[in-house]
Parts: sequence; structure tokens; C-alpha cells
Amino acid sequence: MNAWLEHTFVAPLHQEFFLKALLGGTLVAVVCAVVGCLVILRRMAFLGDALSHIMLAGVAGGYLVMKFFFHEEAHAGGMLVGALIASVLAVAMIGFVSRVSRIKEDTAIGVMYTGLFAAGAVLVTVYSSEIHIDLYHFIMGDVLGVADDDLRASAIASALVLSLVILFFRHFQIASFDPVLAAALGLPVLLIDYALTTCVSLVVVSGISMVGLILVVGLMITPAATAYLLTDRLQRMMWLAAGFAASSVVGGLYLAYAIDSSGGAAIMLFCSLQFLVVLVIAPRYGLLAGWLRRRRMLPQELVEDILGLVLKAGARAVSAGELRDGLGHEPRATLRAVKRLVQDGLLEARAEGYALTEQGTLQARRLQRAHRLWETYLSQVGTPEAELHGQAHKLEHLHEEASVDYIDHILGHPLKDPHGSEIPPDFVDTHSGQPVMVSLLRKDQGGTIVEVKPAAATYTPLKKGERIKLRPRNVAANRWVVERADGSVVELDHAVADGVLVQPDP
Amino acid sequence: MAISTSGARTATTPAIEVQHLTVSYGPRPALLDVSVAIEPGVLVGVIGPNGAGKSTFIKALLGFVKRDVGQIKILGTPAEHAIGRIAYVPQRGAVDWDFPVTVREVVMMGRYGHLRWWQDPGTADRQAVDAALEMVRMSEFADRQIGQLSGGQQQRVFMARALAQGGEVLLLDEPFAGVDASTERALLDVLHSAKGQGRTLVVVHHDLVTAAEYFDKLLLVKQRLFAYGTPAQVLREDLLSEVYEGRLRAFEHLREEAARKAREGAAP
Repeated sequence: MNAWLEHTFVAPLHQEFFLKALLGGTLVAVVCAVVGCLVILRRMAFLGDALSHIMLAGVAGGYLVMKFFFHEEAHAGGMLVGALIASVLAVAMIGFVSRVSRIKEDTAIGVMYTGLFAAGAVLVTVYSSEIHIDLYHFIMGDVLGVADDDLRASAIASALVLSLVILFFRHFQIASFDPVLAAALGLPVLLIDYALTTCVSLVVVSGISMVGLILVVGLMITPAATAYLLTDRLQRMMWLAAGFAASSVVGGLYLAYAIDSSGGAAIMLFCSLQFLVVLVIAPRYGLLAGWLRRRRMLPQELVEDILGLVLKAGARAVSAGELRDGLGHEPRATLRAVKRLVQDGLLEARAEGYALTEQGTLQARRLQRAHRLWETYLSQVGTPEAELHGQAHKLEHLHEEASVDYIDHILGHPLKDPHGSEIPPDFVDTHSGQPVMVSLLRKDQGGTIVEVKPAAATYTPLKKGERIKLRPRNVAANRWVVERADGSVVELDHAVADGVLVQPDP
Repeated sequence: MAISTSGARTATTPAIEVQHLTVSYGPRPALLDVSVAIEPGVLVGVIGPNGAGKSTFIKALLGFVKRDVGQIKILGTPAEHAIGRIAYVPQRGAVDWDFPVTVREVVMMGRYGHLRWWQDPGTADRQAVDAALEMVRMSEFADRQIGQLSGGQQQRVFMARALAQGGEVLLLDEPFAGVDASTERALLDVLHSAKGQGRTLVVVHHDLVTAAEYFDKLLLVKQRLFAYGTPAQVLREDLLSEVYEGRLRAFEHLREEAARKAREGAAP
């Protein structure tokens, strides 16, 4: 075991090329990831990819200039500057094409970068005897064979970019989030945009020597995308992205060493796997979290049916078996819902089965009220007797308070449904602590009048401040019988009863 | 300028003074010879049909579109030197709501104009942010990511940002678009308290019915400035039917409604 650990994890560290790759790779990857956060938030991923390809032309140009004019072979700084010039030119051309023609920006990027990449490829092949660039290495990268010159150039570029991002973090943040505000505050938005593009070019140039031009865009956006799934703050996103980038390099290099594969590819593979894992397990934006959230949501109809069944049983507790088989829902879902209702405090588990808690009773009564009102309504609009219950059973799920109150109102606040069962009172409104219309009160309920609407005042002697109590309703005429403090009695019709507001006694 | 300015000069410096403003994107100017002086401390609604140049007017005040002709002065200072004295609330559609940024951070952006690039936000900035959040009653949501708010709350966050910015002039582009009636009320309260602090507010608005009730002054624009004045002066049948080209069939009703609301608003 120990020997295996030693062989896998410690032995590579004795190799100079491995250490160099670890150091250089981490450096580049971290900076790539930090810039990548801004790149993905501004939807510039395609531009990043394009810039990496354009580098070929720039690097070849820089190489040739240094060779012919200064007789320097493979000058790293010259190639870096050449790549930068190429990318700035490309960005300017992309902007120009999309401004002067009807071509949209993404199309302009596609046209320009393939053209410039082709120009680079032509240069490299035409001067193949002069240029000693290994095209394969350029495309695939060679992190395990990184040269000291490359390492130095990368370090300088990375330090420069990281300092820019840290110093001007606020500027990059605001120009990405709200360029109009940035302009209104007097910030140089265009300059900031160019600075960002330059930063992207710089990290791409440094990244290419490690992982190659195909994979460098992945090094930029994958760690950033991984971090984006985990946080809601840009600063934290950058820290996390840097962390993921570093772990990709370390993990990828060990992977490459163990299975003897290309270093750059192993790094990107590790990085992508990391992303997939986070995509699944991220606490808020992950797949698992979404699945759990959906699973925790109970079907509303099922909940309401369970409460209805338990309410119908009255004082008797309902056994689990009765619930499972009596509702016609899927048994496992039913039992899970029952468990959740117990957790939520609507049902309580007793020895004989389940009963409603006080809160559960209120909720069930509210649903019962909706059901019976709908039934009354359906019979009034001429629904055949046989369909009444079934239809009302469907409609009771429309129990939003205001809608049910409206049905109650147009029916004249009935006391009984067509089968002669009592319709529960509107306890949501009468127990809210707010004044209610007399028409909502049932017999024996009382309170103090707080307002008599002008339209009602002409038809009733009742006055503000008076104490009243309800007697049983005159059902035949649908009139509310109100007992005043002195024992006398007045009758109100529906419209007047609606016009008198009472603060009910608790 | 060789051409004389129309409109009498008042004793106080106008909050916004626009002279002969013309802005174009193509052969047809979006705004043509617009001149207006908006006095400080008023709540102005900019009304007009779609594509009338309402947003362009706001953007011109911000200096965000190029002027072909004309001058803009903010509190007596030419617009190009008045940066920072104007705060702007964008349209809701212009924002990436998935951006990893919290409510407090968005409001803090309003303070960035007060900071040199090497400075970090200080106590005064944090206090201004807290005060602004308090004013729009969003303090309890300060650490939420902005995408997790309702439409009205998001609108209030951007109001808070404009307030934290501390500009004397606030420009709002359709703040009432896509929010429900109660949110509209809450936003309006914020506008009024901002006005109470002596700020000048210019609000792009598309609902003629509520325009009379909400604003002290209206600015009716469709390429040209058709009227600037009190709602009663601006909501005139001849003006509106010219601007809306008879497309306003229910116009009579609208005007009565507006007049009635204006009376109700004035009564208490």
C-alpha cells in the first residue's frame, strides 16, 4: 500500500519535468480561470475560442519578424507580442464587420477567426523550413515538456493579468453587469472592454504552450462554469474557479503520469469530470438538488384528498391502510404524503392511525367549504345530480380564498349544500382580526359594528358602535336576523348585510 | 449658439436644460429640435407612443447617444461635465438576472463613481447603501442574489442604486413596466420621497391613464416636443390625437379618467 502511494504520488515529484509542469500549469490555469469568470458572464466563450485559434497567425508572424529582422530563433517574447497584435487586430476586425454590415457578431467571429487561423497555417507551412514550430504541439500543447522560456513568458503574462483583474475588479464587474451605469458614472467602458479582451489574449497565449489551442478555451471556461454553479458572488466565483483550475492541473498531471497520456488532454479531462460532478451535486443549482426539490413537492390534490378523508372520519383516527387503499392514488406516494403531513403538523399519528391536528382541521374544513360551495354552485347552474359530487370533487382543488368567497357571495352565503350538509363558515375571514360583513356571520356569532356603508344605512336602523348578535338565519327569505343590545330584532337582506361591517368577538 | 433659445429664463437654474436637441440613428431623426427647461424638484413623466424617442431622450440626457445638434445642461453644467450628478435606472429587460451579484453589491455599484480606482468602499459608502436600501424597504433582502427577487423588488433595488449614487437628477426608463398595481404604488412612494429630498426625476411612462395622477409635469414627445407642462396642459385632445394619430380610440374616456384622477389627487 505504502509502496503504491509512494510510487503514484511521490515518485513523479522527483522528476523535474513533472514539477515544472505542475508549477507552470497551475499558474496558467488559475489565471485562465479567473479571467474565464468574466468571459462566461459576458457570453464571450466563442470569442475566447476564436482568439486561441488566431494566435497561430500571430505566433508565426512574431517568429518570422524576430528571425528575419533580429536573427533570433524562436523568441518567446516576440511570439507573445505577435499573438497579442493578432488578437487585437482580430477583435477590431470583428467589431468592424458587425458594425458596417448586417452580419451579427457571432457570425463575424466565425468568419474572421477561421480566416486568420488559415493565414497562420499557410505562413507556417510556406516557411516550414524557417519556422521551427511544431504544429502538433501548438494545437495539442505540451505541458510536460514546457520550456523555461515559455514558463517565464507565462509567468509575466499571468502576473500582469492577475494584477489588472485585482486592481480593477470593480471596473470589470460593473462593465460586465451594467455597461450603461458604468458609462453614466463616467467609467471608460470601451477601454475596460479592450483591457478585458487583452487579458483574454494574454492568458490564451500563455495557456496554449501548456494545453494547446484547442483545449485552452476549456481551461478558461470550464473551471469558471463549475464555480458558477456554486456561488452567487463574483469574487467567490473567481476564488472557486481558481481552486478548480489548480485541482484540475494537479489531478490531470498525476492522471497523465499514471496512464502515460498527453498532459494537456488529461488536465482538461479531469477538469470536465470535475464539472460534471459539481453539476450533479451542487447544493442549489445542481441536478440532484433540483430533483430533491421536485420530490419534496407533494401533489396538491393528493394532500387535499387525504385531509378530506380524515375529516370525514370525524373523531375516529384513520389507519394507514385505509388511506392507502381508500383514495385511489398511488399507495407509496400516499404514504409519503401522509408522513410529510405529520411533519408539517397537519396530521398526528396515534396508536390507531392518523387524526387531524387543530391546524389540519382548519385546512380540511376550508377545503370542505370549497367542495360544498362548488357543489351548491353546480346544482344551481343546472348540473345533473349524478355528476354533482364528481365535478365538485375536481373543482374543490380551486380553493383559492378570494375565488371561493366570490362563489359564496353570488350564492347568497348558503348554509347548506344540495345534500343538506352544513357548509363550513368562512372562518378564514371571521378569525382574521379584521372587520367582516354581517353576511359572513353565522348564528350566535356577535360583535361591534365598525361601519355602516351609506347604501345600507337607508335600509337599516343599525348604527356604528352598536353591539349585535346573530340569530338563526331566516332561510326561506334568505334574510339575516340580527339581535340588538336592547333585545330587539332587525332583519337584513343580502345587500344590506354586506353593507354592515362588524368587528367579530373573538 | 447663434439661434436664440425659446422659453423665458427663470430665476432659478433649471435642473435640466435642453436646447435644440437633435439625435438621429438614420436619415429620420429620433429627436428633432427639442428644447425644454425642467425646473428642480419636480417629478416629470415622459409620454408618447412607441418609438417616439422617449428612451432616446433619456439616453441623450445621460450622454449615451451622440447629439447631432444641441446642448444639454444639468444644473447649469454642460452634460459632458455633469457625470455623476445624474443617476439612471435601466429597463428591467436590460439586466442579466443570473449575474452572480447580491442586492447590496448592486446598490454599492452606485457608489463606484465616488471612488478612485485604488480605493475600497468606506464607511460612508456603506452607510449610503444601507440608507438607500432602507428607503426602498429592501434591507432584509440585502444578501440575496438579484435573480431571486420578484419583478417589483428588482425594480426597487435599482431605485436604491440610483439613490445611493446621490445624483440630483434621476432618470428612470419605464420603471412601471411589468409590475403589479401594489408594486407600482410602492415604487411611486419611493419616487415621491426622492422628490421630497429635492431631487429631480424624469420617468419614461407609457400609461396615459395614470400619467396625470403620478406626475407633476408631463413631457409629450414624438420626435418633436409637443408639450411640456402640467397634466391638464398636456393631456389636451388636439395634442394627443395628433401625437397618437387617432390610434387612441378610447381617448375621450382616457382624458376624463385622467382629469378625474387629477382632481382626486389634488383634493386631499
